[in-house]
Parts: sequence; structure tokens; C-alpha cells
Amino acid sequence: MEQMEVDVDMSAKPSTSSSAAAGSSMTVDKTADQNPQPQGNIMAAAGTSGSVTISLHPLVIMNISEHWTRFRAQHGEPRQVYGALIGKQKGRNIEIMNSFELKTDVIGDETVINKDYYNKKEQQYKQVFSDLDFIGWYTTGDNPTADDIKIQRQIAAINECPIMLQLNPLSRSVDHLPLKLFESLIDLVDGEATMLFVPLTYTLATEEAERIGVDHVARMTSNESGEKSVVAEHLVAQDSAIKMLNTRIKIVLQYIRDVEAGKLRANQEILREAYALCHRLPVMQVPAFQEEFYTQCNDVGLISYLGTLTKGCNDMHHFVNKFNMLYDRQGSSRRMRGLYY
Amino acid sequence: MDSDAAQKTWELENNIQTLPSCDEIFRYDAEQQRQIIDAKPWEKDPHFFKDIKISALALLKMVMHARSGGTLEVMGLMLGKVEDNTMIVMDAFALPVEGTETRVNAQAQAYEYMTAYMEAAKEVGRMEHAVGWYHSHPGYGCWLSGIDVSTQMLNQTYQEPFVAIVVDPVRTVSAGKVCLGAFRTYPKGYKPPNEEPSEYQTIPLNKIEDFGVHCKQYYPLEISYFKSALDRRLLDSLWNKYWVNTLGSSGLLTNTEYTTGQIMDLSEKLEQSENFLGRGTDVNEKRSEDKLSKATRDCSRSTIELIHGLMAQIVKDKLFNKVGLGK
Repeated sequence: MEQMEVDVDMSAKPSTSSSAAAGSSMTVDKTADQNPQPQGNIMAAAGTSGSVTISLHPLVIMNISEHWTRFRAQHGEPRQVYGALIGKQKGRNIEIMNSFELKTDVIGDETVINKDYYNKKEQQYKQVFSDLDFIGWYTTGDNPTADDIKIQRQIAAINECPIMLQLNPLSRSVDHLPLKLFESLIDLVDGEATMLFVPLTYTLATEEAERIGVDHVARMTSNESGEKSVVAEHLVAQDSAIKMLNTRIKIVLQYIRDVEAGKLRANQEILREAYALCHRLPVMQVPAFQEEFYTQCNDVGLISYLGTLTKGCNDMHHFVNKFNMLYDRQGSSRRMRGLYY
Repeated sequence: MDSDAAQKTWELENNIQTLPSCDEIFRYDAEQQRQIIDAKPWEKDPHFFKDIKISALALLKMVMHARSGGTLEVMGLMLGKVEDNTMIVMDAFALPVEGTETRVNAQAQAYEYMTAYMEAAKEVGRMEHAVGWYHSHPGYGCWLSGIDVSTQMLNQTYQEPFVAIVVDPVRTVSAGKVCLGAFRTYPKGYKPPNEEPSEYQTIPLNKIEDFGVHCKQYYPLEISYFKSALDRRLLDSLWNKYWVNTLGSSGLLTNTEYTTGQIMDLSEKLEQSENFLGRGTDVNEKRSEDKLSKATRDCSRSTIELIHGLMAQIVKDKLFNKVGLGK
């Protein structure tokens, strides 16, 4: 019955109570997706699947987070923020790479996106990121509201099928990212063409430098002091990743045990996937891979060998120098040196 | 009743009304900033700014922008504020300039863009001023070249407070941690009182002269990073999806080119030191020794990076390829 709270009454400027209500409904978040009842008249019927696949860069998430935090710090209270998403679209694959803030005006009760401002910003980002296009928009909040539909309509004037990203900054859950993506479709509801949101799934896209950057900011502690081993630092990253893998495997294992014990009903799909996963191990057993792998090992081994040799030479050189200093300061040093080098 | 109480505790936990203390830094006090800028405390002490705080967002933006430039140098501006001896960087944005060392100088070209951008940013509540510029040094470390030094000196004359940040995207990937330096130049003719040797870093042979000539004209700032409470939560959950990428990445493969370059550079450096050794008079003794030790240090560093890469590979091999073979 709490699901009913997720309603359209969230106004453009969320007051404390409505955002709190949004927060308290977070617990039902997961069930909301499977909920056959449409939420108000803004969500498409369950089962409608999205038409595009989305990959999202963490930079965008950080950008929204900063935008929201900054507004809260500036105004002293949380408020809904709006911005644009830019990225690349190839066929049905969309990669959201970056974002920028949008200016909104409040006319009456309605929030209106400032088009002039958007055009100005578009010109600017085109100069720097010439290969990125306007993809959609973002906002904050828990669930899409009727107001969001209005904005989606405005945005649709710029890009015919914009993507909407909604981040819930007040979510308590740590297990999954509190963000949702939607696209819109136009459907007949009661004989009227209505814009409806369709939830989309997304994957996180990343490239090496970004990963390291995110790792860096995620791991940094307030007091970064004391000598740390470089090796340990590197291994800790690997270790935490493997720990994560371990917990995931444990979950799968626990599920299978429970199914075996009859505590849970067997879901064939999950079982099949688990089986496929096991079946793929060991991942690489072809001789070609083994060979390449050993070559790589050898390469690195060789480089470290050379490195050690260089180090040895250096030490030797130091030693000889010191030896020369001690035993014959000036006179016969040339003869000695001739001997050593 | 119950839901009321639950809501209360939830509000308390999440500090709905009050700002978490770590978010205080995101508030911008225009009056205070104007006072600081009018007072110009940095004019009295050439070593005035000692620390720099960079927001997680600015760091990510800079690293990604630098990386997107590939082997070209890219550049951008940073927005932020000052507080006592600390410069705070809140955000960064890219400038439509890229090119080689000489072209990065082309600030005038980007000037118009810069003003327009900052005006637009003010409209959406980003009140901070420009506090510095950043550019990338792909593959050759974080330091200021001769041109950078003169650019920065110019900036420090007319646009104080201003800081220069250098990011090396190639080394960031290779070392697996962010390689970034923040610098301020000394005024012309100023001699730094005690020349503490800065942290050693590898500089390729063809750049070493440029580095050596100018390295006494600026000093590094102590860098720290900050993030908001929301960032923290998001990053925590981000890790839940991100661990796959950590496990899946291979430092050896992404960096083959850089590694080869490093080895080439090393061999040249070793050859040079060998020449010095051969000649070995007492006057040259100290320099040649330096050369060999430096080459050794560079060598150890790249070896360590490679071994890290291999370690990761071996761990994965054990984890995924040796499963079930024992039984």
C-alpha cells in the first residue's frame, strides 16, 4: 500500500515532506518495476521494453551529484536540478559521456527550460567535444512525475527521443546506484496521445583513465598520510575486486543450496545462467593463449632482469667510486680507473 | 505513527535540513571572496599558497579530458575560490585548444570561449571565478616547461589568484594512480630560500633540458581532494558495479606503446651515462654518477609498473584458468 505514495503530487520544488515521502518509498523501489499497475498516467505499462541500450560514464553521475550538492549548499535546501546529457549515439547504442547544467525559469507553476541558454551551451560544447551530441536530460528525484513529462515534451523539441536520467540523491540504498533512465513513447490513453516513460536499463561504461580517477577519489581518505607501499596499494585494489567477486559467487552458491534444500523455488533461468558460468571455467585453456601468456611473463621477467642488472651496475659503480676515494685519492686514480672501466 | 517516527529518524540520519559539514565547502560566499581578492595577501609572500584542494568532479573532468587528447596536449580552465593559504578547485572545463607545446600557449584564441563559458556558468549558479588552468603532458610527467612558466607568470601577474595544474594521462594509466601536479611560479628574480629537492620523477631525455632550466622558477602545491556526502554514497555504490572493470583491465596491454617508449628512453639515458663514465675526469664525476643513478631510478620505476601489471595478470590466470584443474 505504500506504493500508492509514489504519486504525481511531487511538485517542481520538492518540499521536505514530499522528498521524505519519496525517500520512504525507496524500500518498495524494486517491486515498483514489476508492479503491473501504472503509476499515475505517466509510466508505460509494465513489460514495455526500451528500444535502446545505454552505457553511462561515471563522470555524468558525479556531475549531477555536484550540481545538486552545490545548489543545496547555495540555497540551504535541496531542490530539483536540471541538466543536459551529451554523448554518442550509434544505431541503438547510446553512450552518455558528459553533461552540463541547464537553466530553468518558473512560469506560473511550470518549470520551463531556457532554450536560449541551451543554444548557447550547445555552441560551446560543440567547440570542445565536436563528436558529442545532445542525448537527453537529467534531473533529481525519486520517480518521474507529471512535471517531468512536461519537460520531456520541451526537450523533445531539441532531440526527438530524449533520454531522461533521474538521480535520487536522498536514497539510502548502498547496493545499487540510485538512478534510473527512461525514454518516452507516445501512446493512446483514453483516446488521447499521451507521453509515457519507459524504464531503460544501463551499463556503466568506462575507460582506463576514468577508472583510475574514480578509484582514486573513491578510495582517498581524509588523512592521506604515512608511507604506503606501492605494491600494497596495487594489490589492495585487486583484493577488493576479488572480494567483491567472492561475495557475488557466495550469493549464487547460497541460492543454489537453498534450491537444493527445497527452501526456494527453482528458477530455471537463474540456474541455467549459473551453470553456464561454471561451464565457462577455466576461461582460457587453448595452447595459443598459454603461449602468449608465457611470452608476456617472459617479457616482463626480462625487463625486470635488465632493471636489476642496471641497478647492480649502479651499485657497483658507487662502490668502485668509494673504493677509489678511500685507497688512492689522486695520484694513480687514472690507472685504477682504466682497470675498472 | 510508525511511519512518522521512521521519517523522523530518516531525516535525522540524512540531515535533510542541515548541511553535512563536508558539504560546507560547496557554498560560495561572494563577499568573502571579494575581500580576499581585494586584500591580495599573496603579493607579500611569493610562497603564499601552500595547499590546493581539488573536487572529485574537477579531478575526473581533467583526467578524462587529458586522456581524450591522446598524444596531443589539451588544456582547460578551473573554477574555484581561495581560503587562507589554500586554493580550492570546484570545477574544470575544457578549452577548444589542443596541440603541441607551442600551441598550448594559444590562450588568446580561447579567451572568447572562456568568458562566454564563465558567464553561462554563473547563470546556473556556479559563482566561482577562474582560479587556474590545467593542461596535459602525455607521457612526460608533471612539471612546467619554459612556455608554461612564462604563461603562468603572466597569469599570476594579471589574474591572481591563479594556479597551474599539469596532468599526465599516460602515466596515470601506466602507474594506476592519478599523476597530477599543481604549481605556482615565483616572481621574476626571486630566489627560493631553501631548495628542497622536489619529488623525483622520470623525464624523457628530449625534455630534460627544458625541465632543468626552469625547475627552480616554480614550486609545487600540496594536493588534496574532497568530495561531497552524496559523492561518497554514489561512489560506494558505483564500486558495486565497478569492480568488474578493475578486475578486467590489464595495465600491460593498454600501455604497450608507453612501455616501449620508456625502454627506448632508458637505453638512450644509459648510453649517455656510459659516455660520461668513459671520459670520467674528476670534474665530471658527480654528473655522470647522477646520470647513472637517475637512469637506474627510472628503470626501477618502469619495472615496478610492469611487475604490477603482470601480478594482476597472474592473479587472474590463477582465478579463472586454474579453477577446477586440481581436482
